[in-house]
Amino acid sequence: MQVIQLRVLERRIHIHCQEPVSQALVTAAYGAMQQRSDVMDLDYIVGRDGVPPAFFIRRAGRGLAATPDDGTFLALLDEDIAIELQKLRADLYFLHAAVLKRSDTAVMLVTHSGGGKSTLSWALLHHGFRFLSDELGPVDLEKLEVHPFPRALALKAAPPMAYPLPPKTVRTSRTLHVTAADIPGRVIQSPVPLSNAFFLTWRPDAPAPSVRRLSTGEAAARFYANALNPLAHAGEGLDGAIRLATRLRCFELTTAELTPTCALLATTIERSL
Amino acid sequence: MTLAMLSLDDSSTMDDCRPKRRSDVSIREVDGDTIVLDRGAEQIHRLNSTASFIWHRCDGQYTIRDIADDLAGSFDVGPTAAKEAVVTAVRQLDQLGLLDPIPG
Repeated sequence: MQVIQLRVLERRIHIHCQEPVSQALVTAAYGAMQQRSDVMDLDYIVGRDGVPPAFFIRRAGRGLAATPDDGTFLALLDEDIAIELQKLRADLYFLHAAVLKRSDTAVMLVTHSGGGKSTLSWALLHHGFRFLSDELGPVDLEKLEVHPFPRALALKAAPPMAYPLPPKTVRTSRTLHVTAADIPGRVIQSPVPLSNAFFLTWRPDAPAPSVRRLSTGEAAARFYANALNPLAHAGEGLDGAIRLATRLRCFELTTAELTPTCALLATTIERSL
Repeated sequence: MTLAMLSLDDSSTMDDCRPKRRSDVSIREVDGDTIVLDRGAEQIHRLNSTASFIWHRCDGQYTIRDIADDLAGSFDVGPTAAKEAVVTAVRQLDQLGLLDPIPG
């Protein structure tokens, strides 16, 4: 049995892989977080058994899921790790967001699952942005820093030809996974101060991208709507959302073709500094 | 009864309504906007400055006529436009489930 040891959000996760297929999937998804440690905060056993074979996930000896499907297996593992990390780091304000670094600060792309975060992130990584996360934005509200969550970038569909996938992209039934080794530029491994947030409206067929500065109130409502653990925070999480909206420059970004969308986002950041 | 059941043409009925905002929602003021968190419905709302003005007077004491008079006195709008704005806003707040049911 191979044990994959991870360190993320200053917590340690051990994933015991009982056979090579699940091990390859976990390594592809979480390889950038690997770090050896004898202590652990979360302990998983994953594998594949039975006839026909089904993937299984156990945490702390308790069965969580069984599925024949590789995409569902990874999605269920992702979901459980995300929930458990929210419990272990209840001090952080978790947002449904991709996070990229530009210059010395972090930019969040905030929207629901399937809202275009990963596809736009993949494109931006070809324009000088650096990768922290494409799904989770764990924010330290006191320091206004966001922590990296460098799980493999997960695309639901192949991106446009201008941003081709690397040959080693891992394909499951649900998702295309670009491992950290194939992400352009350096994957960021430490917290970064936040500067901007873009709330995405995904319209790839729009004639041109557009951006609109949001009022503090509108941004606060949108932050709250995309918060994963607001009730772990003061004021039912409203105060955290308002703090973010007050301190960050917040925009609504309506996408169009990816290249002009990337250019507009970069220009907006530069003008806002 | 809800405000949506009342006809806008029935102005006397509407004028005398005393809308009351729910007490079990969380409220924050942010730069002139009001953020209303309705955990029961799992919804969050952002009210602009005009809607906030009206919301704060939905205390079960002010009638719609009172609120419209205040709005006309505070913003650059005539009495007819003020009343239409109040009726529209109160109906929307009611449809969003942010007001207590009207007695009777």
